[in-house]
Amino acid sequence: MTLRTFLLSIALFVASASAWAEPLSVNLSATPGNPASPQMGDHLNFHTIIRNDGPTPVDGLIAWISLVQIDKGKEQPVDLEDWSAHKAVTAPQLAPGTSLETDWPMRLIQAGTYRVVVSAVSRNGPNLTPSTFVDFKVRQKPVVESQRVLPVAVGIPIVLCGLMLWRRRRS
Amino acid sequence: MNAIVLIARKEGGDLLLSLRGLGWLLTMAVVLSVFGLLLVGNTELSLLDNAQVVYDMGGIVTALGALLAVVVGTDSVAGERERGTLVPLLLTPTSRTSILLGKLGGQAIAWAAMYVLALPYFWAVGSTGQNLIDGAISVALLGSPVVLGFGFLAMGIGARLSSARSSLLTSLIFLLLSASPLLLGPSLRQSSVGRAFDAVNPFSGALNAYDAVIIDSQTIVAQFPHFAFTLVWLGLTLSFAVYSLNRVFK
Repeated sequence: MTLRTFLLSIALFVASASAWAEPLSVNLSATPGNPASPQMGDHLNFHTIIRNDGPTPVDGLIAWISLVQIDKGKEQPVDLEDWSAHKAVTAPQLAPGTSLETDWPMRLIQAGTYRVVVSAVSRNGPNLTPSTFVDFKVRQKPVVESQRVLPVAVGIPIVLCGLMLWRRRRS
Repeated sequence: MNAIVLIARKEGGDLLLSLRGLGWLLTMAVVLSVFGLLLVGNTELSLLDNAQVVYDMGGIVTALGALLAVVVGTDSVAGERERGTLVPLLLTPTSRTSILLGKLGGQAIAWAAMYVLALPYFWAVGSTGQNLIDGAISVALLGSPVVLGFGFLAMGIGARLSSARSSLLTSLIFLLLSASPLLLGPSLRQSSVGRAFDAVNPFSGALNAYDAVIIDSQTIVAQFPHFAFTLVWLGLTLSFAVYSLNRVFK
């Protein structure tokens, strides 16, 4: 009797858990056309397939992209402000067995090693569904350094203004 | 002191020491500063490769130099005539050739001042990249004939037209047309019309040489055809200026 009760409890638990389990799956991959060794300024593109594997429709789907830097000593989340204008995708409903495909273009702003992940939630789903990770490395590129430009860009007009004032006083 | 040097110093000194000349230089410096600040303030531009930035700076410096040369060239003939100072100059016991060469020397001093002013900007935007020195040398070698040519053209037009204003306007229109490769994208320049225009435009010759030296890392010596092209332009405009000024002197 005790064993039967126990098995029944297990069955009920599994049944309720599967009823609440998130039916979404998110598959993230780098687009094949991406540069093999990207550098600052290059564009990368990622592709996701968000699939509803459950028996019921998923309402209010939201998926968004996240980027973190994983260099040793520089671990931090990255603000995507300059990296990407396409930060999220929404769908009012995803029917059972259907999928939502999305491209995530990205402009590489800073050198470093990064990890990208796309997460999805639905209106009634209890859990967040993350994709697999995709890592990539951005090479440094020689670009304009602000600490050299600012003194020249500000200093030379000031010097010329000074010369004009000096000249005006003399005349 | 040699009359040629005296006149050249007077013309150049007007640019370096007078309030008006310093105002022109200040305007040029502000334009270069704005370009530099845009490079560091705009995310898209800040990711441009150093070589590309040096190339852009070379084009801007050449265009500004040509603009300054047009203003100085117009002022040195049409301006002087309107102010009534050209006739007294012609009445001095100085040969016409000396006056002419002195005014041409003034053009060279104006461009030299503009070039020296631009050197810190070249360093600021391109010191961490490739071919900075070669780029600066190619601007001096190929930009000088282009810039001085526009100055001579403005002097010639100023000698022929009745007012300084119409002279300046005519020269500026010609300069805008010639400098259009700076504004046109590479795809437009690759069209048949664009290629034909490039083939006769000295500005394009200089820009193509900058591109080859700064971005493609070719040698300056290999740019001899472009250099020869700009020298032809200089020779033609010099002849035009001399011929037009001689008409005024007569």
